[in-house]
Amino acid sequence: MQSSVPETAGNKHASDRNTLLAIAQILRKYNLKNTEELLKREANLTDVGSTEDTSQTDSEVSSVLSAYKSEGDPEVYVGAYTELKRFVEGALDIYKHELGMILYPVFVHMYLELVYNGHEEQAIQLMERFGPDQEEYYQADLKRLSHVTKKDHMKGNELTDTFKSSEFIIRMSRDTLSILKRHLQEKKHSVVLNIIQEHLYFDMYEGVARNKQQIEATAGAVVGEATRQDNKAKVYYGLLKEPDIQYLPVEEEEDGEGDGTDKPKKKKAKKDPLFSKKTKSDPNAPPIDRIPLPDLKDADKLEKVKALREASKRMTLSPDTLPSVCFYTLLNSAGVVTSAEVSEDSSLLAVGFTDSIIKIWTLVPQKLRAMKSAEQLQDIDREADDVLVRMMDDRSAETCRTLHGHNGPVYRVAFSPDRTLLLSCSEDTTVRLWSLQTWTCLVCYKGHIFPVWDVRFAPHGYYFATAGHDKTARLWATDQHQPLRIFAGHFSDVDCVQFHPNNNYVATGSSDRTVRLWDCVTGNHVRLMTGHKAPIYSLCFSVEGRFLASAGADSRVLLWDLAHGHLVAELTGHKGPIHCLAFSRDGHILTSGSQDCSVKLWDFSRLAEEMVLEDVNISHNPDIKKSDSYLLRSYGTKNSALLHLHFTRRNVLLAVGIYEGS
Amino acid sequence: MTEADMLYGTSLSLESIKVIAESVGVGNLPDEAAKQLADDVSYRLKQIVQDAAKFMHHAKRMKLSTSDIDHALKVKNIEPLYGFSAHDNIPFRFASGGGRELHFIEEKELDLNDLINTPLPKLPLDVSLRAHWLCIDGVQPTIPENPPPVSKEQQKLESIDPVTKLNKTAKEKGEAAGKPTTGKMHKLRNVETVHVKQLATHELSVEQQLYYKEITEACVGSDEARRAEALQSLASDPGLHEMLPRMCTFIAEGVKVNVVQNNLALLIYLMRMVKALLDNQSLYLEKYLHELIPSVATCIVSKQLCMRPELDNHWALRDFASRLMAQICKNFNTSTNNVQTRVTRMFSQALRDEKMQLASLYGAIEGLSELGTEVVKVFILPRVKHVADRIENATEGPILSNIDKIAAGHIKHLLVKVLSPLLKTLRQPPDYVEEYRNEFGYLGPALHTAVLKARAQPANPAASAVGTTNATATATPAPPTIAAPTPRGLPSQTGIVQTGSSQPGSGRTIMMGGAGAPRPVVGSSNASKYVIVTSRPTTPSQALQPSPVPTSNSSTVVKFVTASQPVATQKIVQATASNQQMTKLVVVCMANSGSSTCTTQAVTNAGSNLGVKSVFVTQQQVKIESGTEEQ
Repeated sequence: MQSSVPETAGNKHASDRNTLLAIAQILRKYNLKNTEELLKREANLTDVGSTEDTSQTDSEVSSVLSAYKSEGDPEVYVGAYTELKRFVEGALDIYKHELGMILYPVFVHMYLELVYNGHEEQAIQLMERFGPDQEEYYQADLKRLSHVTKKDHMKGNELTDTFKSSEFIIRMSRDTLSILKRHLQEKKHSVVLNIIQEHLYFDMYEGVARNKQQIEATAGAVVGEATRQDNKAKVYYGLLKEPDIQYLPVEEEEDGEGDGTDKPKKKKAKKDPLFSKKTKSDPNAPPIDRIPLPDLKDADKLEKVKALREASKRMTLSPDTLPSVCFYTLLNSAGVVTSAEVSEDSSLLAVGFTDSIIKIWTLVPQKLRAMKSAEQLQDIDREADDVLVRMMDDRSAETCRTLHGHNGPVYRVAFSPDRTLLLSCSEDTTVRLWSLQTWTCLVCYKGHIFPVWDVRFAPHGYYFATAGHDKTARLWATDQHQPLRIFAGHFSDVDCVQFHPNNNYVATGSSDRTVRLWDCVTGNHVRLMTGHKAPIYSLCFSVEGRFLASAGADSRVLLWDLAHGHLVAELTGHKGPIHCLAFSRDGHILTSGSQDCSVKLWDFSRLAEEMVLEDVNISHNPDIKKSDSYLLRSYGTKNSALLHLHFTRRNVLLAVGIYEGS
Repeated sequence: MTEADMLYGTSLSLESIKVIAESVGVGNLPDEAAKQLADDVSYRLKQIVQDAAKFMHHAKRMKLSTSDIDHALKVKNIEPLYGFSAHDNIPFRFASGGGRELHFIEEKELDLNDLINTPLPKLPLDVSLRAHWLCIDGVQPTIPENPPPVSKEQQKLESIDPVTKLNKTAKEKGEAAGKPTTGKMHKLRNVETVHVKQLATHELSVEQQLYYKEITEACVGSDEARRAEALQSLASDPGLHEMLPRMCTFIAEGVKVNVVQNNLALLIYLMRMVKALLDNQSLYLEKYLHELIPSVATCIVSKQLCMRPELDNHWALRDFASRLMAQICKNFNTSTNNVQTRVTRMFSQALRDEKMQLASLYGAIEGLSELGTEVVKVFILPRVKHVADRIENATEGPILSNIDKIAAGHIKHLLVKVLSPLLKTLRQPPDYVEEYRNEFGYLGPALHTAVLKARAQPANPAASAVGTTNATATATPAPPTIAAPTPRGLPSQTGIVQTGSSQPGSGRTIMMGGAGAPRPVVGSSNASKYVIVTSRPTTPSQALQPSPVPTSNSSTVVKFVTASQPVATQKIVQATASNQQMTKLVVVCMANSGSSTCTTQAVTNAGSNLGVKSVFVTQQQVKIESGTEEQ
């Protein structure tokens, strides 16, 4: 309905009427008779008769829904864009870069309008002429767009659907916006004006216009930046108060409640100002009953005690005391292995294969045992202390076991915190839960209708999250065959998912180049973080829960402050897609592993110190730290792409890689 | 192709669509329809490939596979293409003709029977897990599982341009993790403030010094198990490059000393060290050839290598060293350093020397024979008669020396072994003992029987290798009576024809493919091209001793010029020039360093000044080589 001529009142009326007709049509189509009646009565639409030809109304519908209908002269687009570009380039330096942000979305929508209206040649011409001018990080999308040259192509194309259905968000200072408005009013260039009105959303803020670096840092997502509203909700990023454990391993460990199995806190950490917040009094922690958590079993408590004892022997890492790295090479695995995961206590390694199997190795002398048969189990004294040991069959001990069941490449495996369960997700759209005692499949969760890329257990068990090609992430409980929550909002594949250490939030990274944080309780997205320039493959929360590290195909590690959703640091140095991230157990060091066959160690404690010093609030974006001085070390592997990184409780880094052959 | 083309380019051509349409039975597809189809199909294909890329990324691969495409099709609810699976690349073949260029996949028709009858392929290796320390407390150990701390390319760069090493700041050095010497950062910071004195410091860490000591001791010690371990370490450890200069010096010095002392065992141990270093994939050895080649050469041709030549098996050492030399030539020969040419010349000169000790003669022949059939044909074959004469003298002559007799026996055996496969292909089947006797003198009958025997075994691998040589390019061995030094007709312009000297015996025209000549030259172990251009006039008074060890032979200056002694070289040249017996010193410099020398050959030329009279005549061009520089 965007006619290019200034609309007269009559025109407007007609268009309104058409819209209503279209709505009525839809209602009829879906058999919503009552609603249709109501609408008709309200709008005095008496003439919507059944006499109307359905095909005609169908086209009517599509014309209303199509945002690109335009009778505009295809030749004016090049001129309009050139003029807009000239205006941007001619603007004052302080506004120039912010104004420049509108060029890409305007360009894209111009192209789509041309394609939609069948002006293929002009569209290609426009793309060839101005496409290469756009920012580097948009080129991949432009390439995909340039394949769309016909109206038919637009149907079902993920990218064009995204552009069509959502507004491109641009954050702009008040001054810049007023300059832009004035310009548009002066020029009355209907093409540009329409596009900006229909498809662009300006999130205005008070203050000075941003400079080029600031803009580039958060640009790159498919649908622009995050609005302020997106990141306004409060996030309880603090850690949960752990239930007290009776056993105190060492005297000094008085407040031994630590952080439980997943991230045991260490007294050493408290020396650091950043980590000084005790979990007990953490004002940012969510209420303990915010999300129901499973009760601790006796075995879990024993496990926690063990973890704490181990943690007390932990080496505290710093730039002067770097960790040791033990590298597990998967030989003969090039092109066969898709994923690997080490259990929390570093005793098991699970590997997913392209040929649908999962293999589990033990990394400790203890072999993998299966449970005894039912008859044998009956003979066991159930009151015995070592009942858990007795029920396992020693004769079945093996160092490597294979799980069969999936029907496609296994893209991720995840251990439950107590190591008795394993989750796996696959191309066959299912998620499977395996028992590591009977070594059989327990449950097959069918909810995703497309390949599932990632699955993660919650740090306290019971819950797990999945992410997949269907653009959703889902929250599940192991005892429910349906998802508890569906997190929908990403515009492309959700490539990775990660639980917050306090179990209340789930972070997702997507091919639409955004990172989102979802509230498990409400199902809403509470943070939207933009700045990646390529799909995101890995996420990791910092130990104290405040920061989130993300990395992906753009070979950079980005650090986000969850308090306000700001990008705080950008760590560059890798030369290939990054597939794994890990924080050391004491939270001092961040490690990243990439397909460029290197592991890099970053000085996170220094980074965190510097970040804390800064006065940060919701509107004030902190400076993004870019210096590569945070890089402590880089260790090359011998032609082995990194698959997984894991810190043991004693802070030895375990790395798993695929040997690609020499 | 410009960037814009890359960006917005490719789609299927109309022709392709039409060809595909024809293949499914649609005869005359109108252009319009073909265009529409081409556009749409291209678009759909791109969509599928884009989706497939997602599967590739999630499988942590960098290469798109057929299964990715299948998965992408599945996601789009399209039936996958069954049966198109390939683990590796599917090679695209290219064909052009009739103004059309085609890329296609070769699909061979397979006979089902063949498929069924072929033995099952080997099972793929199972995925296995192997753990090692990538780093220990922040320091990367230099073990074979880790990448070498300094890559071979980097070593090469540093050897060519040492400035690059200097330009690296101390910080970068620290970040090049795993340098055992730089475990502590504060040490580095000190270095930063200190001003750099030398281009490249060769400081070894304590660990490295210990390692060096252990390795060298083990290599020459008496414990065989330890030695095996040490050699294994030398052959596989990636972090040795810093110690390499010392290792090479150790070997060179060791050979010098032990040759004089005739300590055969130690020489063998040192050669095994050379072998181990050659086998190490992470080392850039080119810089140190000037030390290694003379040492190895010494072990091949030295007159005496052991205390009791009549009892000890120094022949094995000569054989082993010859193989090493062949390996060096194979690995390091380039058009600039001409290692093989020079080595070949050295041996052939020794072979041509009438006064040469039989043991050295054996070494020379063995050294040449390891360099391939072509070398054997050109350099050994013409000399067989002379060698045969000497053997005859030694074995049946009046003065019977036991040592010479044994040596003669070995030479005989060696020649028979080397020449029989060659003669088998060069000569036509009717073999007559008399012909052989005429041609090869004393060795005739032995060669005759060997050739007959070789012919009896048809599938001889050596023979087949020889069979591939271009038999027509080189004439069958000319009868030794031909004295005319006229160049024969050459099939290739680039070949260098060398006119032989005035000596009737060897006055045969030898023609060889020049460097890079298109003529296929097949060597058993060395497939590279080479030029062998030596046919120096040999006079009775000339003595040649390519041994780098001072011996009692008065007419030979045996001196090895190493990199550290360029001045000494000059002195020798002057000293010998003033001598009554004119000595020619050939100083051959390695390409990579101006002051280092590779091989030093001392040639005494009675009556001639410095420099060698040798004229090389090509058919078209005349090439005159001065003695010191090889082309």
